[in-house]
Amino acid sequence: MKQKITAFLLGMMMISMLSACSFGKDMRYEASFLELFDTASVIVGYAKSEEEFTKYSQMIYDELKVYNELYDIYNDYEGVNNIKTINDNAGIKPVKVDRKIIDLLLFSRDWYEKTNGEINVAFGSVLSLWHDHRTAGLDNPEKATLPDYEELKARNQHIDIDDMVIDEEASTIYLKDPEMSLDVGAIAKGYAVERAALFAQQAGFENGMISVGGNVRTFGNKLDDNGKEIPWSVGIQNPDLSSDEKTLYVLNLSGYSLVTSGIYERYYVVDGKQYHHIIDPKTLMPTEYFVSVSIICPDSGMADALSTAVFNMPYEEGSKLIEGLDGVEALWVFPDQSMKYSSGFQAMIKE
Amino acid sequence: MIKKSDLILAGVILIIALAAIVFINVTKKEGAVVVVTIGGDVYKTLPLDEDTTLTIGDKQGDYNVLEIRGGEAKMTEANCPDKICVAHRSIHYDHESIICLPHGVSVEIRDGEKSDVDMIAN
Repeated sequence: MKQKITAFLLGMMMISMLSACSFGKDMRYEASFLELFDTASVIVGYAKSEEEFTKYSQMIYDELKVYNELYDIYNDYEGVNNIKTINDNAGIKPVKVDRKIIDLLLFSRDWYEKTNGEINVAFGSVLSLWHDHRTAGLDNPEKATLPDYEELKARNQHIDIDDMVIDEEASTIYLKDPEMSLDVGAIAKGYAVERAALFAQQAGFENGMISVGGNVRTFGNKLDDNGKEIPWSVGIQNPDLSSDEKTLYVLNLSGYSLVTSGIYERYYVVDGKQYHHIIDPKTLMPTEYFVSVSIICPDSGMADALSTAVFNMPYEEGSKLIEGLDGVEALWVFPDQSMKYSSGFQAMIKE
Repeated sequence: MIKKSDLILAGVILIIALAAIVFINVTKKEGAVVVVTIGGDVYKTLPLDEDTTLTIGDKQGDYNVLEIRGGEAKMTEANCPDKICVAHRSIHYDHESIICLPHGVSVEIRDGEKSDVDMIAN
């Protein structure tokens, strides 16, 4: 009898201990910060311990911070030659820069060619005029104004990407046209997220996800309650913010990135009309084809570049571009809230 | 001399105690909270199941107004330039957040209901 009770007690204790901790199972952790790329960032992932996760998230943060400083077009950092330094020296002299800048600009030039100029990092002089008017308009809504169209056209004379001289050997960038400037806003964030994700994976971070301002890149898988690997679920934001439906679609998205270009967050209002931040190189005005375009592909830099490029193209043209690329899917949301998606999109939708 | 019945009684009591511990541990469900931070520092932690209105910051300077109602948190007012935080829909799932970048304010749900969606691309 005594033995029976002891055995039973022991059994009870073991059961209660088992439920209290499960051995060696990876736990889910999350870290977030607001300092980088002028937006909110989140890192989610699985690790053996909080220390291990913190090691990886700190690693990603540090890496993103380096890219943020190098790719910044508005701020100076002591001892750093960044894109702003290149712009400040347009028409003056070549600027010696980190290899990370050379690589980004080579990548950008490559995509300029692949999209027939829809993605142009040399479009900065036009974009900066819009940026200045938008910022002033947000600070003082009663006095919000549109850029002068003649001035936009004048600035549009200084957007030739061939005037951006990349000297890989000397590791310098020179803008030949003193009136031109680089704006990497449509490409740099995605490119940096891609680099940081690869860096973290090489360091041993197996199952994780990075979002910098909604520019999402996943690697590995999500683990369910039993530790089984299942795909990461990433939702595409509903551009209609008044709707009860938060997402348009939820996708199974392991080892992929998802980037959306939309008009519903960054905009300002002039005389009751909204003007968003994606400017059509053809009209020099905010593009009006869509309310959002989402791109899904493995490389986050490519997704970022394509989301802006496709946003600036009529549907037929964009659809042709996407269908011609391997492993790239897209979702277009039109101003009347109707949607179209690419041929392989449906297979990614989570049940 | 310890009797057999004493042992059984002790055993029964122990089992009841252990069962109670197990029961408490298994059913323990800390309520969801709303964690408000400014510049990364925790400013306030509020229960999600109590309706309330909180002014974050100072009405004379930078401020955001957070409203918790019916188990959901929403930014109803702010004097930041872009008002992205006010346009954000209400949140209640674990780790969902509303960010006001100009004011460095973040409102995040902790210990809330788990969502099937890991992240939203916007």
